[in-house]
Amino acid sequence: MILDQLRLVSRQVNVQLRMRTFNWYTVALFFLQPAVFSAVGMILSRAAGNQAPDLVYTVIGGGIMGMWSGLVFSSTYDIRSDRREGTLELIVGSPTSLRKVEAIRTFSNVMAGLVSLLAAFLAAVFIFKYPLQQVNVPGVLISLILLLFGLWSLGVFLANFLVWSRLSGSLVDFLELPVAVLCGFMYPIQILPNWMQGISAIFPIRWALQAMQASLQGSEINGIIWQKWGLALAISLVFWSISLWLDRKVHNMIRLTGELSSI
Amino acid sequence: MIKSVIRIVRLYFFQAWFSYRALFAWSTPFNYFASKMGFPFFSMLMFIFMGKYVGLNDPIYIVIGNILLLPSLNGVSGMSMTIGGEKQFGALSYLLGSPAPRAPLFMGRAFFHILDGFITVLVALPLAILIFHLDMSQTNFLLVGFCILLISVTATGMGFIMGTVTLVSRDGWMITSTLQIAFYVVIGVNFPVDLLPPVLRAFSSSLPMTRGIQAARLALAGAGWSEIAPLVLGEILIGAIYILIGYATFRFTERASMKSGMLDNL
Amino acid sequence: MGSFAIETRSLSKTFVTKRGFWRRKTKSTLAVEDISFNVNQGELFGILGPNGAGKTTTVKMLSTLLLPTSGSISILGLDILKNTLEIRKRIGFTFGGARGLYGRLSARDNLRYFAELYGLAPEITRKRIVELLEMVGLTGREEDRVETFSSGMQQRLHLARALLHNPELIFLDEPTVGIDPVGARELRAAIKTLIARGKTILLTTHYMAEAEELCDRIAIVNKGNIVAMDTPSSLKVRIGRETVIEVDVDQQNLESLKIQLVKLDHLSKVEYSAEKLINRISIHTSEPENILRLLGPFLQAKSIQGLEVRNQTMEDVYVAIIQGEKK
Ligand SMILES: Nc1ncnc2c1ncn2[C@@H]1O[C@H](COP(=O)(O)OP(=O)(O)O)[C@@H](O)[C@H]1O
Ligand SMILES: [Mg+2]
Repeated sequence: MILDQLRLVSRQVNVQLRMRTFNWYTVALFFLQPAVFSAVGMILSRAAGNQAPDLVYTVIGGGIMGMWSGLVFSSTYDIRSDRREGTLELIVGSPTSLRKVEAIRTFSNVMAGLVSLLAAFLAAVFIFKYPLQQVNVPGVLISLILLLFGLWSLGVFLANFLVWSRLSGSLVDFLELPVAVLCGFMYPIQILPNWMQGISAIFPIRWALQAMQASLQGSEINGIIWQKWGLALAISLVFWSISLWLDRKVHNMIRLTGELSSI
Repeated sequence: MIKSVIRIVRLYFFQAWFSYRALFAWSTPFNYFASKMGFPFFSMLMFIFMGKYVGLNDPIYIVIGNILLLPSLNGVSGMSMTIGGEKQFGALSYLLGSPAPRAPLFMGRAFFHILDGFITVLVALPLAILIFHLDMSQTNFLLVGFCILLISVTATGMGFIMGTVTLVSRDGWMITSTLQIAFYVVIGVNFPVDLLPPVLRAFSSSLPMTRGIQAARLALAGAGWSEIAPLVLGEILIGAIYILIGYATFRFTERASMKSGMLDNL
Repeated sequence: MGSFAIETRSLSKTFVTKRGFWRRKTKSTLAVEDISFNVNQGELFGILGPNGAGKTTTVKMLSTLLLPTSGSISILGLDILKNTLEIRKRIGFTFGGARGLYGRLSARDNLRYFAELYGLAPEITRKRIVELLEMVGLTGREEDRVETFSSGMQQRLHLARALLHNPELIFLDEPTVGIDPVGARELRAAIKTLIARGKTILLTTHYMAEAEELCDRIAIVNKGNIVAMDTPSSLKVRIGRETVIEVDVDQQNLESLKIQLVKLDHLSKVEYSAEKLINRISIHTSEPENILRLLGPFLQAKSIQGLEVRNQTMEDVYVAIIQGEKK
């Protein structure tokens, strides 16, 4: 039973990887765009007369940015290419639910995004000499796991809109940067006006990220961190349940409109 | 004489409209505005908040820079796709086979991109006054308008070159998209180019738009012609060089492809 | 429910499309109007009709990919709305055209992927793939990327994909569209094999000859309605055992021939068409000898440019029915 599921996962990932030939967009999103945003952050910091940039936000934040952009791009790419190839309809018509297929794919896309975070982390440590001894390792790891879980839940949530119709799918592209702005990838969330902070509260990744940033800066695991972890987990679960409900809606919707067969 | 002029003018506008439409087949006005203004707006917000965090409390420098970057979307990426995209649509062989005069054909592709880039800035500036309280009380409007138009034109020069590269090599658009991202750093959009390391600064002064953006900034703040003349002339020079190189490479590619049938094989 | 493989009652489907962004305009297309039919177990049932008749829409409703606007469907005795999952496990389907395969993957990997979606165990998958590739004649090409396949090969691979999980009921939507005559013949041979193995098949096509060759029964659809449904031979009989005479005649003699034709009896259909100065008269009749007698003088005067006498084909039946529908 579990073996069957694992096989399904491996087959999915296999196809996913091979459908994507080496893709410059992915490289640009995982490495180039984060590097450029980091560079802007560093030079702005110098322009403001600071001695050294804040590595957690400028460099590692760039990695988070890469993870997020990469996730949005690769998830939209997967569904769009299935739609174009006409295989989306065949997946829907198979006994394996599209929801399961999407969950697996999004998961592998989230894990692929770790490359970007890892690159940023290595850059921070080896190029910019981020002081490692202060880092609260368990805190960072737990936050990271919750961050990945949050990204996964958001990815699956957004996948529904991509399946629904091409129009609603194009909304997903336009959500990419606003979410990045709102969730405080490259600056502390407190910089934002209050109303924006209010909106960003609905994103699980914001909370996981805050806990991670604090742990990187050496905060111990205290009540505040626990609270953020709790929120990250709870909101992720809320997104999962919305996705479950939405999935059923979308499945019926596409069978009413015949949207699947349109290219 | 008159007839052939009319013919060239007609060809020019037909080309312009046709290629512009073929590229931007917007399905909805929402799509149009979102990709024209939405993406640049949110990346600008990102830079503003990054600046605010490090202690730059006045976002105006970043706001103006990102607005002046808008024509590059049309000029560089749009143009490059227009020319490079011909190949995908298979329209290139018809075009190359046609006896149409080359210069208007070539320039025709740029017209609507220049216009669109120019108008986008004109729409964005009032928004900036509204949202970020951009102060235009000292502004020399005529000069600013001229600078914006100039940036829109010189950006297409680079677009021509990138487009031709895209025609020849499948991977040309990689360079284009890389450049588009690099613009955030190298042409003085978010901070003065003086802050760049020497190598990048040299690179930045060889690019179109760098001087034009700076000139437009100065004119916005009230500078007169005499102050910005060196920058404007420099921008015109660089722009002309890019356009000429673009035209030359296009003609060269065209001839080479006729000999070898290369474009069909791509 | 009886032993029908497919049972539909008053099936209809209206597509509602929305256009525009600020002012949404809705446009509805009645793709399937009122279709009822049953397909027996082991039968090869054909749906025949021109483009846009609603064939694909019907097949998609039957294969759980579209929800009907009204009417009921039961597949293998199961209700389409309540038992969607169970039905999906027991049916296979292909849709015409090149779409529906991963071009960058090999034939074998495509099949493996879909086998996974149908929950087949690896040993079974391995065996099935070999068998199926053999059956559709793609042995030897299993490691090649599908994008290098001709459209005929892709269609056959589609068929193999649809058969992976050994479905009882198979829907084939225009399986031979866009492929060359040889490829089409091979595909038809594969379809016959399936019927011999006891599968039930519903096939759509707009090729008359294909339907006649393959199908036990044919439903002719036009504009979302079934306009005739019977075995190929009874469909022919229904129009009567008539002879078709086609005469090409020049302009001067057209009028006088017309006048004489009007006087004759037993003409079920007379049609005039003109193409490049030649006027063609098509006459369907049960008494061809009368016509030929009438044509005698014209033949002698060499004013007939072409003459063809033949028995009615399925093509004529089809055209007759579709045109009858238009009037
Ligand atoms: N998803 C859809 N949305 C809107 N109209 C559709 C859709 N699918 C099919 N139609 C319309 O329904 C009619 C029947 O189409 P179809 O079933 O594909 O015909 P066939 O397969 O017989 O050629 C056509 O007029 C077609 O335009
Ligand atoms: Mg069809």
